[in-house]
Amino acid sequence: MTPSQDATPLPLQPPQYSATADSSIILLKQRPSPATTLDSLPYRRSNPSLSTLFASTASLSGSHPGSGTATPTTSVVPGSVFSPGSRQNGTQSPGGLPLGLSDKYRNLIQRAFAPHVAVLADADTEALLRGKGLEGGFLQLLRPFGESVTGKVTIRDSVGASRSWDDFGVRFVGVADGLGLPTVPGRSPELRIDTANGQRDGGRPSSSSTRPRTRTGGNVPQIEELVERHLRFSEESQHHGMANDYLDHRDIGPQGESSSSPFYTLYLRRLLSGLPIVPHETFAHPVACVIAVSSRNPDPTEELRRLYARQHDGDLRLPQWVENEYLRYYVLVHEEETGDIAKSNQMFEKMKRHFGLHCHLLRLKSQQCIPSDDDSVALPACEWISAGEEIDEIRKHETADDITNPTPYLPDSDVTAIRTFVRELVAQSVVPNMERMVATWNEQVLARRRGLSGRFMSLSKRWTPFGSSRNSSSPTVGSSNSNYDSLQGFYRPDAPEAQMRKLADYCFMLRDWKLALSTYDILRTDFNNDKAWRYYAGAAEMAALSALMSTAPMSSKTRTENIDSWIEAASYSYTDRQRSAAPYYALRTLALGLELLRLRGSSAADDAALWASRILETNLVGDVGHALFTERVSACYAARTGIGSMKLGSRKRKAAMWSVMAAENWLKLNKALQAEKCLDRALMLYDVNTENGEGVVKLPMQQMQAFINEIRQQILALRLANRGYHDGEDEGTEVEQSLMVEEATETLDKSPRGNRKSLIGAAAPPIDVGPLSPMLERREGEEKKDDQFE
Amino acid sequence: MSYHFTILGPLDNPLFTHEFGTSRSGGDGVSRFTTAERALNPFILHSALDIVEEVQWGPSTSSGSAPMYLKHIDKYQNNFISCWITGGNVKFLLLTRPRDEALGLTSGGGQRGSLAGGRGALGGQGVYNPTSPATEEAVKNFFVDVYEGWVKTIMNPFYAVGNGDVVKSPVFRARVAQAAKKYL
Repeated sequence: MTPSQDATPLPLQPPQYSATADSSIILLKQRPSPATTLDSLPYRRSNPSLSTLFASTASLSGSHPGSGTATPTTSVVPGSVFSPGSRQNGTQSPGGLPLGLSDKYRNLIQRAFAPHVAVLADADTEALLRGKGLEGGFLQLLRPFGESVTGKVTIRDSVGASRSWDDFGVRFVGVADGLGLPTVPGRSPELRIDTANGQRDGGRPSSSSTRPRTRTGGNVPQIEELVERHLRFSEESQHHGMANDYLDHRDIGPQGESSSSPFYTLYLRRLLSGLPIVPHETFAHPVACVIAVSSRNPDPTEELRRLYARQHDGDLRLPQWVENEYLRYYVLVHEEETGDIAKSNQMFEKMKRHFGLHCHLLRLKSQQCIPSDDDSVALPACEWISAGEEIDEIRKHETADDITNPTPYLPDSDVTAIRTFVRELVAQSVVPNMERMVATWNEQVLARRRGLSGRFMSLSKRWTPFGSSRNSSSPTVGSSNSNYDSLQGFYRPDAPEAQMRKLADYCFMLRDWKLALSTYDILRTDFNNDKAWRYYAGAAEMAALSALMSTAPMSSKTRTENIDSWIEAASYSYTDRQRSAAPYYALRTLALGLELLRLRGSSAADDAALWASRILETNLVGDVGHALFTERVSACYAARTGIGSMKLGSRKRKAAMWSVMAAENWLKLNKALQAEKCLDRALMLYDVNTENGEGVVKLPMQQMQAFINEIRQQILALRLANRGYHDGEDEGTEVEQSLMVEEATETLDKSPRGNRKSLIGAAAPPIDVGPLSPMLERREGEEKKDDQFE
Repeated sequence: MSYHFTILGPLDNPLFTHEFGTSRSGGDGVSRFTTAERALNPFILHSALDIVEEVQWGPSTSSGSAPMYLKHIDKYQNNFISCWITGGNVKFLLLTRPRDEALGLTSGGGQRGSLAGGRGALGGQGVYNPTSPATEEAVKNFFVDVYEGWVKTIMNPFYAVGNGDVVKSPVFRARVAQAAKKYL
């Protein structure tokens, strides 16, 4: 076998191989064809910026301080100073977590649901930033800084208690980002205009048409593709001896931190990135809009007014089910080199008189900064980009050579200025404003609904059809007294239901789980009565999540009675009800539910495993997701520890079985590394269970042992295949080698991609001759003896 | 409908394995596991031991004596597992894999299920239900017959369960096959 399998060329990848002699020596012996030299090259090795990209994302995803397992060896980006991994040990660790579980996923979830802030800048600002090398304009500049606000952010909840969070963040989005789901009623796709691209007219039609779409998440196949790329990269870098400890978990424990693969974390993170704007939940609806004008502009006031008008009711207006009266924040971008600071200050004073607190003077340098400059800092990588965006990014890095690293650099003073700006925006405008809205709605809407009259109103609403038209002759009768527009499928933003949903979502984003839970619970019944199924599913989902997010202890009775039924109802209503199929949301419900349940300790682990296997059964995920979630079922069962000396009620055997199945799944996907990890974990679980721990693990049943041996062998074959027999560490593989060579020569004249396909099959022949192969060094002689058992 | 029957000793070691299909309703008594399913069966049975032990040592649901027949205890995808536990901590595990029609996976298909999960259990919807009385009764009868044979087998002074000896007696195998043919 040759190294050609490692360097499987990607689609859309221009051939850019350069001959390196050392790796192709072996293969020239085996199949002397010019084609081999072409596709045999580990082109990725020559591209450090790409590996940095993979490694940095992986280090983000696997980030847990002190674990040290996910440190990339590749050249560290200067931006890693801002790597959010260092902030994960925040104040919010809930007490009483069972041993071996970390609240990594709870942190992930609470950071995922962050307020969205739309960004709109005028043409001059965009031109200024493009001059600085930021193609994405003002939005690209702000985005990474919004994800992590420096310092602590103090939030007062509904009862007036303050709490500080140091991992609070906001998402900066384009004005019309996130309008992507095809099921959104009454929207035409051309309304998805990016702020940056919308202004520089049709000069680059391709970018303006693709960009906004990729910034919207919620696309499961894209997530799969992305994770697949990361996996492939890790396999290849492993076999090339590059980045040896890239995600290398040698210390596999039966449970605990190491049992969650960084790829699963990546999967979840991308699942929660770029939430689409939809009617039934308001997380992605903007809570504020930053409107920026440049000081270059001759008449900034007029420009601000124009931008506001465009955004409030002009061409950038969001659909009518989005509340339009959100906070506007005005920014004057001052250019240090060319601008006149006195004039800018004067202008800013005027703005302050007009808009009060909600404005800012941002001073930026206008010339482009290069890495070799003094105190230049790379723009930090965005952590919460959607899968599509990250794929684009990877493609960009793959095609770029290592000299022109596309990461833009900024002067240090700019970075400080932006940090200050974001901090001010969040701590002084966005959060207080949200708190105020929550208080207002709480008083005006929720209290009324909760009070006696509110209950009576909802009751009478429910019973009105009973009095007026008993047999509901016309379909409009039922909906006439409800606020739900069943034809278009949404509530108007001023309807009490919509406001309550917004209230609950704000509470959730401000991490006031208690009020969120009670509001969602009321909404659930209201939506149910209105037969607004999508809304109902959303409310049930978030009710379950906010109940699980709160750190208060929960009896197993409430858990089984409420939360399970809510998750059940949400996943059912998201997928099965009439025509409103939203598998993405069902997957989100189940995945988050299972993670949070798993944190609840051993009694909830069974439920967690149940939801995980529900994901598998309902086919909500693709191949990669299937393998990842199979692994996750195993982790859920492993989280359940038994009681007493006999470990009664533990689920070791089940965990082990699911691990074996995960190994099998990975093997089918040609991921030797992952498969081996799962298999090792399975054997460890079995070992603990059978308690004959010294020496080789022997399973109680021969068929099981045989099955595992076979998988082990297939993994070995696959690894050897991937490695191309570099090291010769395995003695006597002639049998297979001849087989492989035969197989390879058959496919010589095919395209590289076809070649790879065929090699997937090629791993099979050595498996069939498995027992004859001398590669059975792992099998004990005594086992061979009783191979013929029965 | 395919079955996989295994007797597991106290140390989780298999003592006896028998695989068969239904003989009811025109079945030919041959199991219809695919190769992949067959490879997984031992894993599924083994993992069911977690649940068996929990039921075995957990608080008793019935007052008085603990039952030997634990009924349907576990499920993995479409495989249903029933258990019978003897006084010597030997577990009889029966894995049932209904045909796809009986699970409602494929539309149509005649009602050709066996008695266990057959006519009675299929009920109106035609979906296999492991906890229906007819199914439980059929499996119980099967277990009772096997248990009778088992007791006679372990009375053999040359056979020691504790050593993890595999049951080689052709008589016992014949009895299991007979019981399977009769009830399942």
